Amino acid sequence: MSSKPVYILGGYQTDFARNWARENKHISAMMREAYEGSLAVSKIEPRDIQSAFVGNFAAELYCRQGHLGAFFVDFDAVFKGLPTSRFEGACASSALAVLSAMAHIQAGWYDCIAVVGVEQMKTVSPAEGGDFLGTAAWYERESAGIEFPFPKLFGKLGDVYEERYGLDDRHLARIAAINYGNAKNNPNAQTRDWFMSYDHACQKGRYNVPITGRIKVTDCSQVTDGAVCVYLASEAFACEYAKRLGQTLETIPRIAGWGHTTAPIEFAAKIAESEGRPYVLPWTRKAVLDAYRRAGIRDCWDLDVIETHDCFTTSEYMAIDHFGLTEPGQSWKAIEEGVIEMGGRLPVNPSGGLIGCGHPVGATGARQLLDAFKQVSGTAGGYQVDGARRAATLNIGGSATTNVVFVVEA
Amino acid sequence: MERSIQTVLVLGASGTIGSLAGGLLAQNGFRVYFLSRHTAGSLKGLERAIAQARSEVIARNIICGDYDGLLAEGCEKADWILECVAEEAAVKQAMYERIEPYRRPGTLVSSVTSSLVLEDLPKGRSSDFQKHFLSTHFYNPPGKMLACEICGQSRTDPSVVDFMADFLESRLRRVVIRVRPTAGFAGNRIAFLLFAWITELAEVYGVEKMDYLIGPYTGRIMAPLATIDLVGLDIHQAIIQSLQKHTSDFLHHKLVLPDYVRRMIEAGHLGRKAREKGGFYRRLESGKYEYIDPKTLDYIPSFQPHVRFVEEAKQLIHLGRYWEAFDTILRAEGTEADIVKQILSAYLAYSYGLVGEVTEPSVGIAGIDKVMSAGFNWAAPSVLVYMLGGREKAAKLLSGQGFEVPAALQKDTACEQYPFNAGKYFPAK
Repeated sequence: MSSKPVYILGGYQTDFARNWARENKHISAMMREAYEGSLAVSKIEPRDIQSAFVGNFAAELYCRQGHLGAFFVDFDAVFKGLPTSRFEGACASSALAVLSAMAHIQAGWYDCIAVVGVEQMKTVSPAEGGDFLGTAAWYERESAGIEFPFPKLFGKLGDVYEERYGLDDRHLARIAAINYGNAKNNPNAQTRDWFMSYDHACQKGRYNVPITGRIKVTDCSQVTDGAVCVYLASEAFACEYAKRLGQTLETIPRIAGWGHTTAPIEFAAKIAESEGRPYVLPWTRKAVLDAYRRAGIRDCWDLDVIETHDCFTTSEYMAIDHFGLTEPGQSWKAIEEGVIEMGGRLPVNPSGGLIGCGHPVGATGARQLLDAFKQVSGTAGGYQVDGARRAATLNIGGSATTNVVFVVEA
Repeated sequence: MERSIQTVLVLGASGTIGSLAGGLLAQNGFRVYFLSRHTAGSLKGLERAIAQARSEVIARNIICGDYDGLLAEGCEKADWILECVAEEAAVKQAMYERIEPYRRPGTLVSSVTSSLVLEDLPKGRSSDFQKHFLSTHFYNPPGKMLACEICGQSRTDPSVVDFMADFLESRLRRVVIRVRPTAGFAGNRIAFLLFAWITELAEVYGVEKMDYLIGPYTGRIMAPLATIDLVGLDIHQAIIQSLQKHTSDFLHHKLVLPDYVRRMIEAGHLGRKAREKGGFYRRLESGKYEYIDPKTLDYIPSFQPHVRFVEEAKQLIHLGRYWEAFDTILRAEGTEADIVKQILSAYLAYSYGLVGEVTEPSVGIAGIDKVMSAGFNWAAPSVLVYMLGGREKAAKLLSGQGFEVPAALQKDTACEQYPFNAGKYFPAK
């Protein structure tokens, strides 16, 4: 980890249950609400913001709108001429925006950066949206002409686990039930008012349709409209900010460690590469270990809470052993023992994760970072993990192609 | 006394609210008796509850039957009897008389009514019955509208209301609004006054024009006359008549049922439930809508209203610039602008004016805020004040429209709070 720490000053998440197309709103309206809400929450002043980094996957496809960074300068008169950028790395887009913001702060370019993650997905039919998401894989080889390519890819991830270690689908159902259950305590979660139970998640039928192989509707994350705005700052700025709020620098959460790897884009290539190795997705595991090392922690048991990428139940199943909660292939043990539940030894996805809270693709990484901030600052409300001081996030793009891990502590 | 709820008996489970409120209970793990006059009706209710939950597994918690077969068993087992039968005092009272011999002492009994006089309903019943009797007014559909108004009558044990409020909040995820036992409680009292007012204006300006002017962009998910179509004109009439009879306030004269609305009801133009007969709107096969002409009751095609300030406000809302949109409305002049300002003012004057009458004065506007947003999907009055630029600007608007500025508005602080997530109540439509 660089000797120059990067601090998180808070932020705001829009209500992920909203349908912005039905509200007839432009994608920039969502960014604006996230920005304005974040000002109200964090007490940042517009004049404090020196640059805006926007993470977004595919607004060109969903909304026929690119160049999203440019909309930020419209949010306040003081932003005229503000340098802005947009970042893309599939579902890890806003985690990449965070990484880049950190680098800019550490290089001394800026002291305070607004990182916005945004995606508007309910503009198209599920089939069309599924095709758009297919561009996060190797489209020509893995998505073209295939209905819902990503459930198939993450279904295959489950198949690999089954082949190498054995996999009981009831453990996947338990993951779904836990995440929906957690979402009920999150006032911004998309599914907070939906019915879910373990029995329902186990069942196949007209209300839990099998999509492909072992993946049913309840194994999937949601199609979500959402935006998040979070502020990152240098030590000098964080010091000044803390003073402004009558706090000390020690109370301001900081990014203590990060990991960033890119695996081969094709899922089959990833799996071929890991043949005979303990971890199914070694580049994801490396990102986790890099983050632990940079944060100076030994293993996952130095963490209090994890927000991980559960685009499907199989990806959370993978994350459990890749974070080191169990030996490789034994994620089921942590599920059966209640380790990952609220009140468990290491709660995973108190927010509800992508399954319960929702998955506006380009906003997810920023949402996870904001939730990590909330946990370690004791401001997560109904989904607060008692006494949390250190949190980790895992945001993956594609079929675990881009992997970004953060460790946040206060 | 230690109270707990494990088993609930729903009376009137064939109806929408009975089946869906009962379904919510089943979703949350409670054992629920679904009873109605015929088992077939209860089974229909079960299907509705399953569709709401989008899961068949909830059926495990539901026992369907009819009054003749299962009333005694249901009453004996129930910790809470939720009455959702027809909205007529005599029907409800007859049902209470019927269940009393089987009901265990201490069992809670609630009615979903909001428009009948609560005080009269349990008359003639035992003291224990009356002590445990209250209203739990669910909004429809309860899977999406989370508001639940709650109140007792003069003989209700206050601890029963406290217990039920806590139960509804913590176990059923309701947004609970404690109201006073006045007709229409808080939500229907306010919303239906505005509906009535708008039906009167529609006689002059037309249905399409009124729903265009007071459309979603003014702070509601659905335009007012479209909402009456959804509720049903017959229900609208029943609520207006109840409010006419049982309430009295400074806007009572606006609680009207215009003659053309009566004629619509007589002719069967009841709204969505009437399907091809339509209501204020009639849906064509093409998916487009026609609008009823209040003068002739003929349906006429859309004339695509276009008013400059409305379009400008919608465009600003489209971009998330809510405050600027309301500034545009406030600066607009002319008949259409006056209508919009009049209705927005009426909403604020009436809502703030009823603080203390429909909800306790100590909660300020908070109770009414909750019911209007969680029961009607309207922007809460305090949010609207914020959007208008604050208390002073809102007070000026009200005065300009001939309303007295309510004391509750003058001392309101809720309207000073940043309205997080309020944009969802302002679609750009």
